[in-house]
Amino acid sequence: MNNGNGRRLNGETEEDDDDEGSEGDLDAWERTYADERSWESLQEDESGLLRPVDNKTLYHAQYRRRIRSLSSQATTSRIQKGLIRYLYIVVDLSRAAAEMDYRPSRMAVVAKHVEAFIREFFDQNPLSQLGLVTIKDGIAHCLTDLGGSPESHVKALMGKLECSGESSLQNALDLVHGYLNQIPSYGHREVLILYSALSTCDPGDILETIQKCKKSKMRCSVIGLSAEIFICKHLCQETGGSYSVAMDESHFKELILEHAPPPPAIAEFAIANLIKMGFPQRAAESSIAICSCHKEAKVGGGYTCPRCKARVCELPTECRICGLTLISSPHLARSYHHLFPIVPFDEVSSSVLNDPRNRLPRSCFGCQQSLPNPGNKPSLRVACPKCKQHFCLDCDIYIHESLHNCPGCESFRHSKSPIATEE
Amino acid sequence: MKFQIEDVTVYFPYDHIYPEQYAYMVELKRALDARGHCLLEMPTGTGKTIALLSLITSYTLSKPNNPVKLIYCTRTVHEMEKTLAELKLLHAYQTTHIGDRARILAVGLSSRKNLCVNSRVLAAENRDSVDASCRRLTASWVRAAAVANPNLPTCEFFEEYEKAGSNAVLPPGVYTLQDLRAYGKEKGWCPYFLARHMVQFANVVVYSYQYLLDPKVAGYISKEMQKESVVVFDEAHNIDNVCIEALSVSVRRQTLEGARRNLNKMRQEIEKFKATDAGRLRAEYNRLVEGLAQRGNLPFTDNWLSNPALPDDILKEAVPGNIRRAEHFLHVLRRLVQYLEGRLETDNVEKEGPVGFVASINTHAGIDQKTLKFCYDRLHSLMLTLEITDTDEFLHIQTICDFATLVGTYTRGFSVIIEPFDERMPHIPDPVLQLSCHDASLAIKPVFDRFQSVVITSGTLSPIDLYPRLLNFHPVVSRSFTMSLTRDCICPMVLTRGSDQLPVSTKFDMRSDLGVVRNYGRLLLEMASVVPDGIVCFFVSYSYMDGIVNSWNENGILKEIMQHKLVFIETQDVVETTLALDNYRKACDCGRGAIFFSVARGKVAEGIDFDRHYGRLVIMFGVPFQYTLSKILLARLEYLRDTFQIKEGDFLTFDALRQAAQCVGRVIRSKADYGMMIFADKRYSRHDKRSKLPGWILSHLRDAHLNLSTDMALHIAREFLRKMAQPYDKAGSSGRKTLLSQEDVEKMGDGILNEMQY
Ligand code: SF4
Ligand SMILES: [Zn+2]
Ligand SMILES: [Zn+2]
Ligand SMILES: [Zn+2]
Ligand SMILES: [Zn+2]
Repeated sequence: MNNGNGRRLNGETEEDDDDEGSEGDLDAWERTYADERSWESLQEDESGLLRPVDNKTLYHAQYRRRIRSLSSQATTSRIQKGLIRYLYIVVDLSRAAAEMDYRPSRMAVVAKHVEAFIREFFDQNPLSQLGLVTIKDGIAHCLTDLGGSPESHVKALMGKLECSGESSLQNALDLVHGYLNQIPSYGHREVLILYSALSTCDPGDILETIQKCKKSKMRCSVIGLSAEIFICKHLCQETGGSYSVAMDESHFKELILEHAPPPPAIAEFAIANLIKMGFPQRAAESSIAICSCHKEAKVGGGYTCPRCKARVCELPTECRICGLTLISSPHLARSYHHLFPIVPFDEVSSSVLNDPRNRLPRSCFGCQQSLPNPGNKPSLRVACPKCKQHFCLDCDIYIHESLHNCPGCESFRHSKSPIATEE
Repeated sequence: MKFQIEDVTVYFPYDHIYPEQYAYMVELKRALDARGHCLLEMPTGTGKTIALLSLITSYTLSKPNNPVKLIYCTRTVHEMEKTLAELKLLHAYQTTHIGDRARILAVGLSSRKNLCVNSRVLAAENRDSVDASCRRLTASWVRAAAVANPNLPTCEFFEEYEKAGSNAVLPPGVYTLQDLRAYGKEKGWCPYFLARHMVQFANVVVYSYQYLLDPKVAGYISKEMQKESVVVFDEAHNIDNVCIEALSVSVRRQTLEGARRNLNKMRQEIEKFKATDAGRLRAEYNRLVEGLAQRGNLPFTDNWLSNPALPDDILKEAVPGNIRRAEHFLHVLRRLVQYLEGRLETDNVEKEGPVGFVASINTHAGIDQKTLKFCYDRLHSLMLTLEITDTDEFLHIQTICDFATLVGTYTRGFSVIIEPFDERMPHIPDPVLQLSCHDASLAIKPVFDRFQSVVITSGTLSPIDLYPRLLNFHPVVSRSFTMSLTRDCICPMVLTRGSDQLPVSTKFDMRSDLGVVRNYGRLLLEMASVVPDGIVCFFVSYSYMDGIVNSWNENGILKEIMQHKLVFIETQDVVETTLALDNYRKACDCGRGAIFFSVARGKVAEGIDFDRHYGRLVIMFGVPFQYTLSKILLARLEYLRDTFQIKEGDFLTFDALRQAAQCVGRVIRSKADYGMMIFADKRYSRHDKRSKLPGWILSHLRDAHLNLSTDMALHIAREFLRKMAQPYDKAGSSGRKTLLSQEDVEKMGDGILNEMQY
């Protein structure tokens, strides 16, 4: 049982880039099947039953690393975040996307995670919009225009999943540049390119195109699927984006989700300015109106622009008639947490736990489940540095990634100082 | 940073130092202390040059009583400029620390082509014509004539320089070639002559190998160098070849035809002088009687080439009587040319030792050995007397005299080989007579004898014990250093089988096997589809490359490859190759991706770097053995066996492997870089071959990578490239120390000192 655990551990911490361990004695071809070594993720429990290996501590370790790197960026200074983003996702559907080093194919894996990303993106950036572009046969196509509805993007992408021909980075950038250049100046122009190919066949000088993008302040990021390409690196460096290459599917997922939280604002944009917004009301269920987005008569649902009274189907969006940005207040509220992230929780060291003089809470403040004393194993509990409450690992992740509020601190604010009385 | 190595305070211009740089300095210092020669192998990209420069200049600073001069030899002008640029940085750093005490004079010296600032002369095309045009303006008789007739053109830079006389000196500082030109232009002095003059006084001289190793050039450039010098040969893995080339001459039909023309021209000149200025010829005769043909008393500008034989072997006597008169000398030369023409008329390959050859010249042409020996000096004297400035037109007769002097001087270590046609193209008659030197130690011996320390260094000197035998010297230190890396950024692999599991090799019997050709093609194709940006391929020879590229073209593989990347090819034409390289780089820059086909031992393999995205993968197709049927090679092998007890096989393998290492080493030029190397031939998996690769490659060659097939190599490549694309920590992950700060070095220094005391 220890054996299986050890191997799993090595598999998970691959990006720590020391592979001298048991990973080293696997041949490269063997490693390609490593994903399917499902038998190794089983372990025997006390009563002799087979159970999946408990990966909880591992996941948590990974998550903590992520949180720490995020907060180290954030603490350097109070940085501004671009909350209104206009993002184009460029999906490379050239010949290389059919390769099967990702199962079942690069293209399928990309599509799957783009879908997840789109939902996550709108969840975290309710004020933002997104569009899809594909590259195929050396030509870039616009799949969906900028818009706020996850469903329509996902549907459009899934319908177009076939690949062929060369890839052309320049064509894609030119196309996206044409669209993004019309965006109002408070919006953040971003491109995320998911690049399968290892080369680009361009009609002209791509270096010029890159300069053009730089001038229009488009932040271009690339996630490569197989190896580092000079021109992509150059593009990202010039435009202030990030460049990364995925090791495998789970790494790819991680990399793409890194693009969901708003990036730090580019310096020139950092001047605060006010934006006019409308908070439309939901129309009565029985009312019939022609919506301005689909140009169809619809019964019920929909929202009415407070300025020109036009009807739209979904929020957030821009009014087609008067150009007002239309959102709902929960959207705005959800965007806030990026500005005020909650501090990462501290791990409670086992020496503190094992010290009999400390009287420690026995259950998680979040979910009330009991917190076992782990003995010498790594600690399974964390504490909020502000309210000093203890939480289990699941709650830790939930609080930081979804809730964006610490229950301890919140209740502390409501009922005056429960901790003080405890001590 | 500044630290101590024993009694020497080393000034190092960076805040951090690699451990291998430190170790390199320690070894170098020991060699300097012992006043001996040393051999040091350290991979490129580890800052060898700066380590060398820092230590040697700091050594002089710490011991002001017996300052050493540094003579740094590089192979190319580009390397020369790079070295001087590093020295400049170092010098600036030393000056901030110790002020005026750090003052040095460092100059680079190159040919007129790189230093001349006279725009009229520069318009001339190749090196010989820049030299000749300069001479046309600056020869002593031209200048003398110009005094009388101001309409005759002279070089104003030279005149200014002469006028300044002893005031024409360079102030202390570090001068790259570019700086020299700028300074020369500003002052109106000729940079070439200024640099040549300053070489004697400079603390650091950077120039090319030839200036020390080729006696023809060394005789007038490096004659005055002090004994207390440290001579460094950088990138010296081919130094034995440079040495033997310096003493080898080949004569073809064109040479002989040209020589005849030269002789006729000279005869006309002599006739002319007889009619107008007979006194001149008589004066020369008298000079020769007194034995003044040797140089030393010639004006600076008239001195262009020295005797091709080594200084110790040149007789200090008067020129023999039978060639003192100009007409007689021309007769002798004409007979010699005639004799050589006769020898070229053969249908068989002939090989002779110099002694036999000289004897047969004596019987057939009536020229004895001593006369032969003096040919070169006699010719030089005659050309001066006849006031010939178009030296490049007279190259042919110079070659003949070169040959005569060498063959008359040396009895061992040489052979004369006559081949009626190129072995590989037997239907095209192309007779050539070669005097080839087999003994590299001959040319370098005066350097070892004369200078206090000689440092031979390169990224590939393995096996390191062979060089002392080839060059016949005893190093006090010989060491090979590895590279400390923060991550495994090089990935060497030995590919023995193709995708069909059949062995691949360029061995003679498998060379034209279609299966091998196809397997090589598929290997390249598959690699082209997984490796981004640039790939470099090396083939064993031009003819092999032509053949295999043709078959790839015929069976369509080439076309498939071109779907992934553009293909560029090295040719024997330098301009074409430069253009191809340019476009190759462009294709890598703009993301199109490209493949460069070139040849081991070619120009590209020696001097061009394919670092970063310009070379993510290099494939060495086959083992680059020399053409083993070449008569010259066979003669050299025989000589090496008889004289130095080096087995033929050992030498051939050594030579092939150093070329291979040199080729693959092109892709990694710094530690931040990464690249893969594929040795595609089953013979590389054998221990005797593999073990001759340099240590820094071997240490990354894992056992699992010794016997791969195409598909396995492909997996490894994919994974390696993914891993290398991940962000990494430059300072190195904990545990492995790859950068030392001043503090670390101080601690280490104590440790090493302690270790030495016990
Ligand atoms: S003297 Fe100097 S500047 Fe004048 S032609 Fe000769 S090399 Fe050029
Ligand atoms: Zn609608
Ligand atoms: Zn409106
Ligand atoms: Zn909980
Ligand atoms: Zn709290």
